[in-house]
Amino acid sequence: MTEKIIGIDLGTSNSAAAVIQGGKPTLIPAAEGTTVAGKAFPSIVAFSKDGDLLVGEPARRQAVTNPDNTIREAKRKMGTEFTYKIQDKEYKPQQISAFILQKIKRDAEAFTGDSISKAVITVPAYFNDNQRQATKDAGTIAGLEVVRIINEPTAASLAFGLDKNKQDMKILVFDFGGGTLDVTIMEMGGGVFEVMSTSGDTQLGGSDMDKAIIDYVADEFRKKEGIDLSNDSTAMTRIKEGGEKAKIELSTVMETEINLPFIAQDSSGAKNLEVKLTRAKLDDLVNPIVQRCKSSIEKAIEDAKISKTDITKIVLVGGPTRMPIVRKFVSETVEQEAESGVDPMEAVAFGAAVQAGIIAGDVTSDIVLLDVTPLTLGIETLGGVREPIIERNTTIPTSKDKTFTTAADSQTAVTINVVQGERPMVADNVSLGSFNLTEIPPAPRGVPQINVKFDIDANGIINVTAKDLGTGKDAKITIESATKMSEADVEKMKGDAEKFAEEDKKKKEEVDIKNEAESFIYTTEKLVNQDLKDKIPQDKGIKITDAIKELKESLTQGSEQIKQKLDALKAIVNEITTELYKNATPPPGAEQQSEQGQDNSTDQNTDEQKSDSENNEEQKTDSNSEQKPESS
Amino acid sequence: MPEENDKKELDADDIVIDETENIEDTPKAEIEEILSDQKKLSICEDKLQRALADYQNLDRRNNIEVSQKILKRTNQLMLSFIGIYEDFLRAKDALVNDNNNTEGLDAVIKNMESLLYENNIKQIEAVGEIFDPKLHEAVSTVEDNSLDDGTITQEVAKGYISSQEVIKPSKVIVSKKNESE
Repeated sequence: MTEKIIGIDLGTSNSAAAVIQGGKPTLIPAAEGTTVAGKAFPSIVAFSKDGDLLVGEPARRQAVTNPDNTIREAKRKMGTEFTYKIQDKEYKPQQISAFILQKIKRDAEAFTGDSISKAVITVPAYFNDNQRQATKDAGTIAGLEVVRIINEPTAASLAFGLDKNKQDMKILVFDFGGGTLDVTIMEMGGGVFEVMSTSGDTQLGGSDMDKAIIDYVADEFRKKEGIDLSNDSTAMTRIKEGGEKAKIELSTVMETEINLPFIAQDSSGAKNLEVKLTRAKLDDLVNPIVQRCKSSIEKAIEDAKISKTDITKIVLVGGPTRMPIVRKFVSETVEQEAESGVDPMEAVAFGAAVQAGIIAGDVTSDIVLLDVTPLTLGIETLGGVREPIIERNTTIPTSKDKTFTTAADSQTAVTINVVQGERPMVADNVSLGSFNLTEIPPAPRGVPQINVKFDIDANGIINVTAKDLGTGKDAKITIESATKMSEADVEKMKGDAEKFAEEDKKKKEEVDIKNEAESFIYTTEKLVNQDLKDKIPQDKGIKITDAIKELKESLTQGSEQIKQKLDALKAIVNEITTELYKNATPPPGAEQQSEQGQDNSTDQNTDEQKSDSENNEEQKTDSNSEQKPESS
Repeated sequence: MPEENDKKELDADDIVIDETENIEDTPKAEIEEILSDQKKLSICEDKLQRALADYQNLDRRNNIEVSQKILKRTNQLMLSFIGIYEDFLRAKDALVNDNNNTEGLDAVIKNMESLLYENNIKQIEAVGEIFDPKLHEAVSTVEDNSLDDGTITQEVAKGYISSQEVIKPSKVIVSKKNESE
């Protein structure tokens, strides 16, 4: 067995991770259990007033009480110079994402029982180099080597097993999340998933649908009973829960009922909310939101310069696409059926895990996902026009050049501004850096010949050289990433992240000891009051009761005190149970069996340790042979 | 097939005799064959041990997975039950408001609470407690300078813990001090 590599869907609203187990991707559960985001967890980071770090569900739960110190959607700021100022400390978006990745790493280690140090992370197809580099940096800060960054729609296609198809395909990926819509058209063939176009709406998602349902239910109740519930937070919370349940049910049945007894009270007595909701009514309610997706699909098809009939596969991603109306709408718009068989909420994380599995050698695939340039690279020319040199989706390493000339008579210097993006004007793209080539001999415009050469190595590092072909003089620039952090910065942030990890560990230990104490109190009380009620002598019973009382009192104190009292109670319970067993007559042959059992368990431990240690050796070998250099 | 069996025994005897003889008299090819067989045996033993270890690991993981699935399913069932239990509590409140006798209903509620206790499900303390995002979910805040910052003033929906896992956080309204005062 090789070292496990996890796949991470680092989402704007929610994040999830998966790992290959038994040849299949399995979602890694969040430590807090199932949340509002299902098996995923919200991509929210917060710092409590005491400076404690909260990630995921706990961060979401406290958001309304602590909005200034709660960070949502840090992904939107990745690759920018933006900094979050929290409690007089500055955090880069990479650091915020690193906190999320660190939690994923922790959850993955708890789930697999192995140490996790490598990951495949997904990013939107439209992410530029800076944003991708920032994502890699976030991984490094979190203590994860990012072995590959892949596009989210590519990951979704992998999850649906589209890489197993032999023929070339054009795939439409419809990613409808909680708050955003992304439509991507990709072409698969020759070992590459190539992004043809992307479009979407950053202000459209499943939460709009939930609101429509809640408003309808509250309105129905108001019409029937004349009571407005919108200011009653208890009632509205119940309606929200009931509405969500009904929405899920209506994916499989045609009619359901939201039944909330005693939701309100007036002079005539208690009022019950009973609203029948049919699938047709639900469709009617959410249809305006669904129809708003149409323009994004049409734009993506138009930008890809293809027609609907050219699309061979449709992949649906995101919770709202589970709804039959959404599936039907996409199928009707594109005039063909969508792929099925994978939970759309888990598809991206699953696909990332499949890619991780391919790299680790756990999964076989006919397709080899190659590292490509995600966006076109070019330089600025006269009038702020972008001249492309390396087209997007070019497999790296690569090298291309073009020859330019001067724009004015006797021009002795040129500025080479390296830009990245798909737009024709420089201002609409991202500038990665610029440099000057000077001492060009004065000549009429159009005469000097300046060759500009782009080299991208296997690590994604771009070298741009400008050479005056007349004199042979050249100048160059090396671009790693405009927002790439220095190694020292990354190390410092790693240290900060580890500091929080240490604090988290300490806090977890405190919670664990408290939980253990509560659990032990519960078990002991059950033992004393039920299971061994008549078997414990009175004096011992009093001793236990006192020890329980002391332990209960210690629960409000520090972990040391709890541990001390817990140990004391354990000792008393052990003493009593030992005595009880001593007095009990063992059935014939019981002693022998017990000894045998011990022997077996020792063997088991030895075997298990051996197996694990040998696995580790294999991991090392494999990781060396598979290790891909990281952009730096 | 007795003949074959006899032959096998004879072969085995031969080997024993060979072993007692001077090793130098044993043909080299035969020694190599024995060494090779010993090596194969050792590999087989190693493989068997690994297979056993893998099986035990798989068994252990499987047991963990099964118990996790049972716990998850039980929690889901208990959450559905809690929904009905809470409806009974609301029914009781409505009856109390109308000055009706609730003795019978009290007994039913008590039985329900026993069932929750037996399944190690506890209600999360909320009103008067300091807000804890691991247990509570804040739905809004209310300004109140008489209370410590973050004190829970109202419980909008009850929360529950099963063993050590929060199966439903309580939804609460939390106090906030007015900073301008």
